[in-house]
Amino acid sequence: MVMELEYDRSLYGKEHEAGPFEVTKEIIQAFSQSIGETGAVFNDESAAQTAGYRSVVAPPTLCTLYVRRVELPDINLKFGRTRFHAGQRVQAKASICAGDFLTASSHLKEVYPKTGRSGTMVFIVWETTFRNQDGEVVADVQESYAARE
Amino acid sequence: MTQQNMPYFEDVELGDEIGPLQKVAADGEVVEFCQLWGNPMPNRFTEAAIAAKANLPGPILPGVMSMALMAQLLTQWGGAGALKDLDLVFRQPVPHNQPLSIAATVTDTRQENGENLVECDILMTGLAGERYVGGTALLSLPTKEK
Repeated sequence: MVMELEYDRSLYGKEHEAGPFEVTKEIIQAFSQSIGETGAVFNDESAAQTAGYRSVVAPPTLCTLYVRRVELPDINLKFGRTRFHAGQRVQAKASICAGDFLTASSHLKEVYPKTGRSGTMVFIVWETTFRNQDGEVVADVQESYAARE
Repeated sequence: MTQQNMPYFEDVELGDEIGPLQKVAADGEVVEFCQLWGNPMPNRFTEAAIAAKANLPGPILPGVMSMALMAQLLTQWGGAGALKDLDLVFRQPVPHNQPLSIAATVTDTRQENGENLVECDILMTGLAGERYVGGTALLSLPTKEK
């Protein structure tokens, strides 16, 4: 039997935007430091340029820092009492370097139920596309939240 | 964009193990990460009392921080620009100040649209074998062919 979910379906097709966010050398270095990333191209400008990059390179998931800067509406899901961050996907399309300006555009990708041994959960998936100052897509990020009874 | 000791596509075989990368996320590092992230503090990632109210055994790592740690294994192995896709499921809360082991296993190699692709399963585990975060990754590696 197909579970009928009640939520705001009018949100499909709507884009929610934020930015531009300047990716500075200091942000990249602080991000690298907080995760113990010591790779030369992530920390040292001359090493990055020797490797062929414009400047210090952002670790590939740095753009996830900006996902929550996009104000997303409540989908008014009529299911579950608790919600948690269930998963995340990053598809890197191009390098992000210090000095880049990123804009974020998010939309509701899908809402679907899944039933397992612990019962039914409903997954809400938002997709965010990041573009740089040249309009080039640099990353797609999907965040999944699960609602549980 | 090359780095020293980067593997070539031809050197990688199905079943190859990548890592493990051993990490510990200290309290201060999580606070620093949350400050960058812009998440209002204190929160369940930084304060034991707030974590307890959310029925957590202690402050935990944000999912995006776990992801950043796991990506590090892959960039250390394949180079800064190798990672194309990282798709993770957060299975259990990840604690601060505990040994974390991150490892991957190659599950497929293929050449597609001029790219040399390596697919992996990737897992973050705890000292007692807790499976905290799992998922898949796709990397693009250079070839020895001219």
